[in-house]
Amino acid sequence: MKKLTTIVAAAALLGTGTAALADDTKIGVLMDITGPIANFIPPLQNAADLAVKQVNEQGGLLGGSAIAVYGDTTGTAQGAVDAAQKLVNVENVPIIMGSLMSGTTIAAAEAAIIPAGVPQISPTATSPAMTTLEDGGLVFRIVPSDNYQGEILAKMVLDEGLKKVALTYVNNDYGVGIGETFIDAYTAAGGEIVAEAKHEEKKDSYRSELASLAKGDAEALVVIAYAGDSGGKIVRQAIEGGLFTKFIGTDGLRDELLIQNVGADALKTSFFSSPTSPAENPAQKALHDAFNAEYGEGADKAFVDQTYDATFLALLAIEKAGSTDRAKIAEALKEVAMAPGEKVGPGEWAKAIELIKEGKDIDYEGASGSAEFDENGDVGGYIGKFVVDGDGYKQVEIVE
Amino acid sequence: MIEFVNFYLFPALAIGSIYALGAVGISMIFGILRFAHFAHGDLMTLGTYGVLAMAAIVPVNPLLLIPFGIALTIVSALLVDRYFYKPLRELPTIYTVISSFGIALVFRSIVQLVWGSQNQVFFTGVKPPMVLFDTFRVSVLHLQAVILTAIIAVLLHYFLTVTRTGRSMRAVADDPELAEVSGLDTAKVIRWTWIIGASLAAIAGTFAALNTSVHPNLGWNLLMPMFAAAILGGIGKPMGAMAGGFIIGLAEELSSYHWIGDDALISPSYKTAVAFVLMIGLLIFRPQGLFKGRLL
Repeated sequence: MKKLTTIVAAAALLGTGTAALADDTKIGVLMDITGPIANFIPPLQNAADLAVKQVNEQGGLLGGSAIAVYGDTTGTAQGAVDAAQKLVNVENVPIIMGSLMSGTTIAAAEAAIIPAGVPQISPTATSPAMTTLEDGGLVFRIVPSDNYQGEILAKMVLDEGLKKVALTYVNNDYGVGIGETFIDAYTAAGGEIVAEAKHEEKKDSYRSELASLAKGDAEALVVIAYAGDSGGKIVRQAIEGGLFTKFIGTDGLRDELLIQNVGADALKTSFFSSPTSPAENPAQKALHDAFNAEYGEGADKAFVDQTYDATFLALLAIEKAGSTDRAKIAEALKEVAMAPGEKVGPGEWAKAIELIKEGKDIDYEGASGSAEFDENGDVGGYIGKFVVDGDGYKQVEIVE
Repeated sequence: MIEFVNFYLFPALAIGSIYALGAVGISMIFGILRFAHFAHGDLMTLGTYGVLAMAAIVPVNPLLLIPFGIALTIVSALLVDRYFYKPLRELPTIYTVISSFGIALVFRSIVQLVWGSQNQVFFTGVKPPMVLFDTFRVSVLHLQAVILTAIIAVLLHYFLTVTRTGRSMRAVADDPELAEVSGLDTAKVIRWTWIIGASLAAIAGTFAALNTSVHPNLGWNLLMPMFAAAILGGIGKPMGAMAGGFIIGLAEELSSYHWIGDDALISPSYKTAVAFVLMIGLLIFRPQGLFKGRLL
């Protein structure tokens, strides 16, 4: 696994085309480049690279350049620990942005990042288990907890008039977290879960699970899993077997791969929930314009906003701390993210370092929200409802 | 009954075919070259991507493009054997085992560098299942996989029992020293082992990918059940590996059927465990495997 990480990291370094100099500051970027959510990643790498590029164009980090050092979690807990250990021990990064999946984020945090005293900020790890993690104030995320998404999802399902559903969720931090909050919220609000099955990742056939799920008279199947692994296979096999026609998914399933896999027609009546950015947000427009100017397209892909914000915040925290002292950076992260302070938006690095130099407090207002952390390093946020539109997804509703 | 055939039996046979084809290679390499080939899963992945690359150019049924995947895996396997495994052959086998781990990573990284790390699919959309006698709904792919595997089993059996090369292979697997002093061409036997193992790996990989999607960890994820199948059937016994593959596939899928009452006999979450419990049980009571393979 090490070899793989090295190759990926080397490729990433070559991609940015920066030579390592003595006064450069590294920032660790942990992503699930391979594995179940691999299809989400390319625009997210662009988002992280964009933040780093803007910093380097607008005065640099701590007087030198910022360099993103990538680690690939391979989408597994073990891979995440290996990659994180390399980032904190070999690359000696002062802060880590990532990773994306809840399982890999928690594994990396517990086994490698927290023990090393390195602050970590995840753009998308939604598991409720993150809230209670014994992290000594080091682990942050800028996406709302699934306690929240599970409840909203339950409400969306009931609003569609679906009173009886079957539920299957993947047996990992992500699936169990969101699945359990969904069950509680849905049954409390009067819905009935006629069949329920927890499933394992990486199997080739989920037909036996589906056969038992289809036993009741469920009106739809709620799938809480990643489209690149079990989620995609379950939807496909359910359609093939003629068991379900209507699917309800979460952010993990809202992957364009799913549409490539089963086709848009088959998903006409399905809908998906996903953390999203507030409507009418000027910061988001600024980011999307900069992103599309740099890469041509892809700014509206899932989690671009969150990934950019998390990377930019990590960079701001280093600048604010004034050094690569890990404990100081964790403190600084809260200061730059939270009110009070002068507002700074995406891409406004020059303004931010000016303010920091003057000794003023800053408050980053990101494309994905304002990132006001509570004592657990969690934030509130927005959940959107998405439907399939052509070969992409369209947001039809937004809930704060 | 209909439900049993549609959702349990046929998928189980299809998964079993994939395991069976992969396990034949593992079992033969284990029997003849005497080492556990951990790169076999990634060899499957490589073959699958070979097929995928051709499928992007030639828009026909991917099954017809399998020969390109086979060509890729055979060339890779023979090159790897010549430059990595052969120099280590005189050393204790653990060196070769560990180097096969390395080769697995090399294969996977090459796949990622050339084709990227994303999930890919051969075609968009769901193919409606074939309806037989108005009751059974069987995926066309599953039917193709099972039939093709059956044909391969017959051909392989014929090759191993009738042809000279096939019989030499069995002789080397049974007793390498005796085979060597009897004047059998060991180099040729080894070459054919790789050719057969690699071909079947490419076929198995393509079936697995058509059944789900193509990604760099495709073969690696299948490696454990394939090893279980090879050991279950008896090391060095290709027909045993075939049987082992089907047994593992059937055990995984059928254990969650509601044999008694209305609930699944064993929760589907424990599918994988069922296969391995079966393997452990067999190793305790019949360590040489079902088909009297070599003792390790």
